[in-house]
Amino acid sequence: MHRKTVTFNILFWIYCSLRKKIKAKLAVKMFGCYVTGILPRPKELVEVTRAYDRKRFGKEELEKAFKEATMKVIEAQTSAGLSYVTDGMLKWQDLLRPFTENLEGLKTGALARWFNNNTFYRKPIVSGEIMRKKDITAEMVNMDFLPKDVPWKAVLPAPYTLTKLSENNFYKSEKELLFKYAEILKEEIKSLAERNFKYVQLSDPALVYNPFKDSILKDTLADVKSALETVVKGVEVRVCLQTFFGDFTQILPEALDFPVDDLGIDLYETSLEKLKSYAFDKGVAFGLVDARSSLLEKEEGITAVAKELIESIYPSKACDVFVCPNCDLEFLPWERAKEKIKIIANVAKKLQSELNLNG
Amino acid sequence: MDKLFPTQEIGSLAKPAWRIKGYRGEPLSKEEIEEAVNWGKKLGIENLDGLVKILRRKERTSGDKRALFEWSAKFVIRFFEAAGLDVVFDGEQWRSEMYEHVIRNVSGFEFLGYVKSFDYRYFNKAACVEKPKYKRSFYVEEFIFIRENTKKMVKVPFTGPYTLVDWTFNEYYERKAGDKIKDFKQRKAAARKEFLFDLIKEVVRPEISRLIEAGAKWIQIDEPAATTNPSAEEMELFVEAFNETVRGFNCTFSLHNCYSNYRVLAKYASQLRNCSQLALEFANRDSRQAGIGEKRIGYRELKFFEDYGFCGKYGLGVVDVHTDFVEPPELIRDRILHAVSIVSDPSRIYVSTDCGLRTRTWEISFAKLKNMVLGAELARKTVS
Repeated sequence: MHRKTVTFNILFWIYCSLRKKIKAKLAVKMFGCYVTGILPRPKELVEVTRAYDRKRFGKEELEKAFKEATMKVIEAQTSAGLSYVTDGMLKWQDLLRPFTENLEGLKTGALARWFNNNTFYRKPIVSGEIMRKKDITAEMVNMDFLPKDVPWKAVLPAPYTLTKLSENNFYKSEKELLFKYAEILKEEIKSLAERNFKYVQLSDPALVYNPFKDSILKDTLADVKSALETVVKGVEVRVCLQTFFGDFTQILPEALDFPVDDLGIDLYETSLEKLKSYAFDKGVAFGLVDARSSLLEKEEGITAVAKELIESIYPSKACDVFVCPNCDLEFLPWERAKEKIKIIANVAKKLQSELNLNG
Repeated sequence: MDKLFPTQEIGSLAKPAWRIKGYRGEPLSKEEIEEAVNWGKKLGIENLDGLVKILRRKERTSGDKRALFEWSAKFVIRFFEAAGLDVVFDGEQWRSEMYEHVIRNVSGFEFLGYVKSFDYRYFNKAACVEKPKYKRSFYVEEFIFIRENTKKMVKVPFTGPYTLVDWTFNEYYERKAGDKIKDFKQRKAAARKEFLFDLIKEVVRPEISRLIEAGAKWIQIDEPAATTNPSAEEMELFVEAFNETVRGFNCTFSLHNCYSNYRVLAKYASQLRNCSQLALEFANRDSRQAGIGEKRIGYRELKFFEDYGFCGKYGLGVVDVHTDFVEPPELIRDRILHAVSIVSDPSRIYVSTDCGLRTRTWEISFAKLKNMVLGAELARKTVS
C-alpha cells in the first residue's frame, strides 16, 4: 500500500473514533413521543355525531359515543408506547372553540378557513372585556380514562394564534389582546398542572404560517416572547411551543430565546437545510410524520432525517428530542392516524437505541 | 348572448325526496309522491302517470332508477326554464356530489373515510393510490340528456382538477417522489404538481374532449379550492392547471369560485386564458338594503378584478344560497347596477346565484330565481 494512503487511513481512523466519542458525549438525554393536537373521531363517533346533527340521536347517545371513542384513542396511544398521552380532544370543534364559547367578552363568529386546509373554524369575535369566569379546560379535557402510569399532556392555543385568529372589536391594540389571552392561558395551565398534567403544548400555527412571505417583525417576536413569559411564569409543568403550517426557520434565531422547554417544528413546511444551520439549546419536537398526508412514512427514512437534524442542531449540548406528527392528526381518518401514532413511537425507539449510546 | 344581463344558476339544485329515496329503492310516502305530482303539474311536465307508477312500486329495477334520473333532470330543466333563466342545466341531479361523482368514476383512487370539515360535518376523502386513469365518461350522458330536453343555452359545470387534487390525499406521487427528493416540503410540492398535471392529461381533458364532441358549447370549471393555498407558488400552479385544462379546445370556458379570498384570486384572474367568465359569490358578503354605492359592501372586491385587469365577463352572484331570505327584485337590480358602475360595460355582466342552490328547498329556490330574473329585467330597463 502506498504510504500516503496508509497515513490517510490512519488519520481517517483517528477522525472517525474522535467523531464517535464526540457523538457519544452529545447523546440526547431522552427521546420521547406524543401526538400534537386534536385526533380524528373514529368512524363510530363520526356516525353518531352526524346523526346527532340531523336530530336522529339525542345528547345521551352522543355522550356515550364520545366516551367510548375517547377510551379508544387513549388506548391507541398507550399501546403504541407514547411517552405522554392526551385525551384526544375529540370534543374540540376547533382549537379555539372552548375559548371562543366560554370566555366572557367573546362571541362565536362565522366559519373561516383553518389556514390552508379544507377545514373550518369559527372566528372568535372580541366584543367586550375578556374574562375567565370558569375553568375552561377542566370541562373540555376528559381525565376519566387517562392512564395512571403514563404522564399526561394537554394542548392549548398559543396566545399569538388566539390573537391573530380573533376579530378584535374591543381592545385598542392587538398587543393588548395578546397579553389578555396570555393571562388567561396562564390560569388554564396552572389548573392543568394542579390536575396532574405534566406537559402542555401551546399550538402556534399563526406564528409561522406566512403564505405571502411577509417579513416577520422583530417587534412581533419580542411581543410573542414576553407574552409567553406571562403564560409560563411560575408554572411547574413542561411547556412546548408547537408551530406548524409554516417554516420554523423564519422565527430563528429569536425562537431559541422563547421561555419554553421545547420548540415544535413542522418538518413538512420547514427548509431542512436552513434548520441545520442553527444551534439549539432546548428540546425540540420534530413533526416527522405528516398529518396532512395519508401515506405512511417509512420509518428508516424519517429516522435518518431526524439523526441528521440532531447532529446539526446540537453541536455542543444535547437536549431532549420528541418525535411527533407535524400538526393535529384530525386531517386523517382515524384508522390511518392510528398507524401514524405507531410510526412515531417506533421512530422514537429507533432513535433511542441508535443515538443514545449512553443509554 | 344578445340581451343584456343574461341569467344563470351555478349548477346544483336540491334532489327531491322522491329522487333520493326512489333511487335508493326505499318506499315513498303519499306526501312525497304528491310533491312530485304537484311540482310536475306546476312545471307542465307531461305523462306524470309514468313517474307515479315507478314511485309506487315496492321494488325498483335498474331501469326504473335510470328513469328516475331522467325524470328529475327533466323536472329541474323545466324548473330553471319556468323561473325564466337564459342558461340552464339539470341541477346536477345525476351526480352524487361534485367531488365523489368524479372520483368514483376514475381509476387510481380509494376512499379512506370521513375527515372533519367543521363541527359535526365531514367529507369522504379519497387517496390517489395509483396513476389516475380514465375509466368511463362521467358527464357526457348527463349532458346529452339535457341537450335533448331544452332549447336554452346549456352550461356544463365541471369539477376542476386543482380542487380534485386539493381534496385528495396524494399517496401515489408522494411515494414516487420519496427517494428522489430529500426535503419533505419540496417532495410534497413536486408530487402535487405531477398529480395535478397527470389528472388533467389522463382524465380531465379526455372528458372535456368527449363533452365537446357531444355538442357542449360552454363548460364551467368549478374550483372552490382555488385560493385555499394563497401563496404565489400555489396560485401560479392553479393558473397553469386551468390553462392546461382548456388549452386548444374549441369551446367557451368559464370559472366558478366561491367563499374564497378574492383579493388573491383577482391578482391572478387576468392570467387565465380562454376564461370568458368568472362566476363569483358576492351576495353572501352584501347588505340587504336597496341602493347603489356604499350599501353594496359585498361587491367591493369586484373592483380588485378590474384593477388587476381582468377583462372577461362576470357571473355576478346576486342571490345568496345560504339563506332563505328571498331577495326582492329591486335589491337584485341595485346589485347589478352597482356592478355596472364598477365595470362600465353592462354587456360584461351575467346575473347569477352565488353558488348552486342545493341547500335550499325547491320553493325557496324557485322564489329566489324568479326574483333574480325580475331584477335583471328591472336593471335592463334602467340601463337602456
